Amino acid sequence: MTQASHPRLVATFIYVRTMTVFVAIWALVAWLTANPILLPSPLTVLGAAYDLARDLELFQHAGISLGRMVISIGIASALAIPLGLAMGLSRRFERIVDPTIEVLRPISGIAWIPLALFIFGIGDALPVFIMTYAAFFPILLGTVGGVRAVDQRLVDAARTMGIPQRTIVTRVVIPAALPSLLVALRLGVALSWTAVVAAELIGAPSGLGYAVEWYRELLMTPQVMSFIAMIGVIGYVCDAGVRWMNRRFAPWAQALR
Amino acid sequence: MTAAAKLRLAGVNKRFAVAGAPDTIALADFTLDVRQGEFLVIVGPSGCGKTTVLNLLAGLDTPSGGTVSIDDRVITAPGPDRGVMFQDYALFPWQTVRGNVEFGLRYGPAGNALDAAARNERVRRTIELVGLTGAEQKYPSQLSGGMRQRVALARLMANEPEVLLMDEPLAALDAQTRIILQDELLRIWGQDRPASQRRTVVFITHAIDEAVFLADRIAVMTTHPGRLKALIDVPLPRPRGDATRALPEFQALTQHIWSLIRDEAYRATVT
Amino acid sequence: MNVKAANPLERYGAGAILPIVLLLAWQVVGAALHSPRTPLPSRIVAAAVTLVASGDLPMAILQSLGRVFAGFVVAALIAIPLGLAMGNSRAVERNVDPVVETFRPIAAIAILPLAILWLGTGTAAAVMIVAYAAFFPMIVNTVAGARNVNPTLLQVAATMGLKRVTIIRTVVVPAALPSIGVGLRIALGVGWTAIVAAELAVGAKAGGGGSGGIGQMMFVFYAYSIELNRIIVCMIAVGLVALLLDRLLRAAMRALMPWART
Repeated sequence: MTQASHPRLVATFIYVRTMTVFVAIWALVAWLTANPILLPSPLTVLGAAYDLARDLELFQHAGISLGRMVISIGIASALAIPLGLAMGLSRRFERIVDPTIEVLRPISGIAWIPLALFIFGIGDALPVFIMTYAAFFPILLGTVGGVRAVDQRLVDAARTMGIPQRTIVTRVVIPAALPSLLVALRLGVALSWTAVVAAELIGAPSGLGYAVEWYRELLMTPQVMSFIAMIGVIGYVCDAGVRWMNRRFAPWAQALR
Repeated sequence: MTAAAKLRLAGVNKRFAVAGAPDTIALADFTLDVRQGEFLVIVGPSGCGKTTVLNLLAGLDTPSGGTVSIDDRVITAPGPDRGVMFQDYALFPWQTVRGNVEFGLRYGPAGNALDAAARNERVRRTIELVGLTGAEQKYPSQLSGGMRQRVALARLMANEPEVLLMDEPLAALDAQTRIILQDELLRIWGQDRPASQRRTVVFITHAIDEAVFLADRIAVMTTHPGRLKALIDVPLPRPRGDATRALPEFQALTQHIWSLIRDEAYRATVT
Repeated sequence: MNVKAANPLERYGAGAILPIVLLLAWQVVGAALHSPRTPLPSRIVAAAVTLVASGDLPMAILQSLGRVFAGFVVAALIAIPLGLAMGNSRAVERNVDPVVETFRPIAAIAILPLAILWLGTGTAAAVMIVAYAAFFPMIVNTVAGARNVNPTLLQVAATMGLKRVTIIRTVVVPAALPSIGVGLRIALGVGWTAIVAAELAVGAKAGGGGSGGIGQMMFVFYAYSIELNRIIVCMIAVGLVALLLDRLLRAAMRALMPWART
């Protein structure tokens, strides 16, 4: 088998083969249990997904959830990255701010939902708040870690060239910390996307989480599964997106992986 | 008659605070003059304070006692007049060769007097000097160890420093590349030019044969605390090359210096 | 390694200033509002005392923890053997990995409606969610641990004539233990978050019905009595338990694997 010459083709083939087996087992079990609410057949789910896609309902909810996540990541980054830079560069500042952060960090974004429900009510603000909170800490910690991990020699090298401190921060520290920052961003995106479902399930009138719950109450399992699949697809695409950013903006770090 | 010293360390003490232990004394009453245009090599066992001396001369650190000065001016901060080459090169991984070499000119004071055209010309000349013409667009991760060392050298030479401070720059290279680069280093430094036209070099190494090959004078240090044990002239003729290593004087000097260091080196392997 | 501040009081003192100032400001500003519902540090403390003394809070936490451990064990029983198999056999890995990777982006909470559909709004669904959530970090880290064994170690064992199965047992598994431990630690954190989310959601959907647990208690305080102070007590409890679990597991790992760097 010419594995070495076409590794990608082989991998794709094996993927398809495995998933086919999986779907076949699924179809068998579905046929045996014969309960379309409990376990619909793969074909039924596919049909439901197709209908939802054709009506654009699938994409509407997806777009809403995605939009919320983009906003959340934006807010979280705008807050966390400057704070992380300051903390990473100044030990004193970090000592002052860190305990407060360490106290808040273990309280997951999800635990905030009841309180946030009270403050924001059901609507757009709630998921965005929860998702921002969820993404904030990984991005912050990743930024601090990235700044601290910058090779001191690089900073020294720049200092010996007489380069002023502020330029060192912008031209040395930030580029050197960029790979870590993008890894942190990846984690922030993942956690934020996880939070979106919980937040929308409980406290939003739209979006994928809401749709999943809506169809569950109607006991329309094929639709439930379609939306769950969509959640997975978008989660994967977003992760791939950040990984692309990593390759595009920090190509030199790839060699270290 | 003493020529005016380019660099001077006078009665320098350096101690480091260590959490939960008494202070470490890195240097005690260290005095050394470095002459203009000379190639001074510092050798000594591990942990004897060689890097501390370099950091003080670079201005990356300040002495606990005594003074460190260049041209009789006290050194308080790093600057492009004293270029530093670090042991692991410390190249900026996100910059190309060209980007690294021109970094100090673009963002630091060394390039203030130059317009873009003059800057580009100097960068081009420096890259040519170190023998890297054609590799300008490569990233450090794509370069061999020897090439990275040349980039690091070019980066600091582009700022036209008066003094070159080098901390074991060839340590990470294999033995064959080392020998080639020792020759290259002497060429780039300009070993066949008179002292007044050469840059002053302070070079740290473990390897005694390397020290003897490169140096005009060798400073031998001891450890615990770091002191100057001996200052040895190396009267081997310049320009130096492969033939130099075969000279009996070369062997004699190498043996002499090794005898000064040997006991401490042995102790370092058993404690 | 940073040079530590000479005085431990100075080291921690600076850090305590900001939280204390914030808490005081909160107390003063909040009290000035003269509203009985406003959450204040003083009221939160009072609520905490009440909830702990009555046993409600400890009970809820224990209930949730019980579910987490149950789900944890279920996940570990599947993930670790499977992960080791995948790490040691390319064939197994090739065939199982696609399924794992397809489901990994789907967060546990997204599966919750499905779980409720299948198992109702009780403990079973919650345990399933925790197991699902904990499964992925466990298997990913187990596979990584098994695969990243220093190949030289394996060669050493082979040159001593050990059989393959023995090598797996005596070299691969111990070498992979630190990674497995990391996976367990992450899984515990993820599982704890998942149980809170599951109980919250179930509480919301089942109208506060008898599922119990701290997530559900939080929702009841929101939906039925609007006890903001009690909600905040629960939030703090969630955070404290998360911290405690992490520290305990780290200590256990250090004790069991003294040779590993955490």
